Amino acid sequence: MQATTYMKRRRDGRISLNSGNQVQHVMQMTILILTILTIVAFLFFDYTGLNFKKALVETAHNLQAMFLEPALSHFSWSEAFYQVGITLGLAFLATILGAIISFFLALAAAANLSKEWLSKTVRIVLAFVRAVPTVLWVLIFAIAAGLGSEAAVLGMLLHSIAYLVKAFSEAFEEVDKGIIEALRATGASWWHIVVHAILPSTFTYLTSWTFLRFEINFGVAVAMGAAAGAGGIGFELFMASGFYFDLREVGMITYMILLIAIILEVMSTFLKNHYFPETVKN
Amino acid sequence: MPLLTVEQLGKSYNTHTKVLRNVNFEVEAGEFVSIIGPSGAGKSTLLRCINRMVDIDEGAVIFNGADVGMLNKKELRTLRTDIGMVFQHYNLVPRLSVIENVLHGRFGYKTTLQGIMGRFTEAEKERAFYLLEKLGIAEHAYKRCNQLSGGQQQRVGIARALIQEPKIVLCDEPIASLDPKASTIIMDHLKSITVELGITCIVNLHQVEVARDYSDRIIGLREGQVVFDEMSYRLTEQRTDILYGTKSKPVTQVRELLTV
Repeated sequence: MQATTYMKRRRDGRISLNSGNQVQHVMQMTILILTILTIVAFLFFDYTGLNFKKALVETAHNLQAMFLEPALSHFSWSEAFYQVGITLGLAFLATILGAIISFFLALAAAANLSKEWLSKTVRIVLAFVRAVPTVLWVLIFAIAAGLGSEAAVLGMLLHSIAYLVKAFSEAFEEVDKGIIEALRATGASWWHIVVHAILPSTFTYLTSWTFLRFEINFGVAVAMGAAAGAGGIGFELFMASGFYFDLREVGMITYMILLIAIILEVMSTFLKNHYFPETVKN
Repeated sequence: MPLLTVEQLGKSYNTHTKVLRNVNFEVEAGEFVSIIGPSGAGKSTLLRCINRMVDIDEGAVIFNGADVGMLNKKELRTLRTDIGMVFQHYNLVPRLSVIENVLHGRFGYKTTLQGIMGRFTEAEKERAFYLLEKLGIAEHAYKRCNQLSGGQQQRVGIARALIQEPKIVLCDEPIASLDPKASTIIMDHLKSITVELGITCIVNLHQVEVARDYSDRIIGLREGQVVFDEMSYRLTEQRTDILYGTKSKPVTQVRELLTV
């Protein structure tokens, strides 16, 4: 009866399948407390002047105007597409420039290709850059470049670099170290190894990651249009909602952004399924 | 003068354990030498000290009149062009074609820019095809390396070593991941490198019988020290047992299991 030494029983004598550790207990308590706090919070809201029935109807009416009767009133269709193009352009510029710079920085950040101190320095600096949200970077660059598309591209570029260097350098590190050793043993120089072993082995990952970042940058570019006056469809959305209170136009613009986002999502899913390593897929 | 002299070689990866201790041997041009010994005896480290893929801690390796430990970066690249290397896991770039992988062996002769642009002369390309022809895989020249079987990939690895026009080829367990038939093909090719082209071969092996059948001389390593260094026919069962710390069963049976 050796197994019984490791067996755990509940108080009623039934065999337990959980290890019964602290973690589970803490998780349960956390969820319970959060549930209670949520319910209590609703009781403390200021409900004066609220006609619940009227509020519901008005909200439904607004939503109906926004999403069931979308229309453009302050600008034309060609203008709308032009603005979407500007937003895509902002995202494209930040992504392409970012990808090129990231490639070289990632070579410096990859532990198997670079010196330890250099790799660590690059990683730490970029971890800081990544920790600050994109919007904040844009506003920081706005001090020098003024609010507008330049600041938006610079801010998005910086954050894209921080993101892509991490992704790229991890892809580089997954390259079989035997391949690098074999090329070094033939007398190949560092650049030979990068161009003829690292690049062909990781090229598909690099393009997939870049596209994934483009998808993210599109979303950010929409927000930047409104927040930093970078122009594009985001700015029109801001004008329509905050300036004209034109719910129908807000709906239309939302649909347009949604459509682009779906197209990008489908494309990146396709790329992901075809080219990503098993570990990153999920 | 011997092609390769190893004098008092010592190597440790950390302060506690020495991987190699006081290793001495000489290899003449045109010899086929096997290094055998249990896992962790330092066979791979010994090979990598010869082309300085790992740094030498104590002693010296003299190859072709040059002290390997003293070379600067540029001299080291030149030295490595003279030393081909073949690996257990072939170490080819899987997404590139066979011919591209073979031509990687020429990078040691290229400047950085030539190498990056992938500029290879017609003579080099012809030589690559000639080697593939000799190794019997010319028909796969334009296939991607990961479409080839293990034995075929190892032959690409040998072609990559040979196109360097080396004076010596170091093989780190070249048949450890191959089936018996492929192993025989690879060992036959390695043997013919020495016999036909006069290139020295040093081969790390796990299979004692293979070492005895193919090599002129066997070096036995145990715990980082040379415990056997003689012509291969002098490796008796008894001495193998000392080397590996094993007790062998009746001779005939073991022979059958180990021979490939």
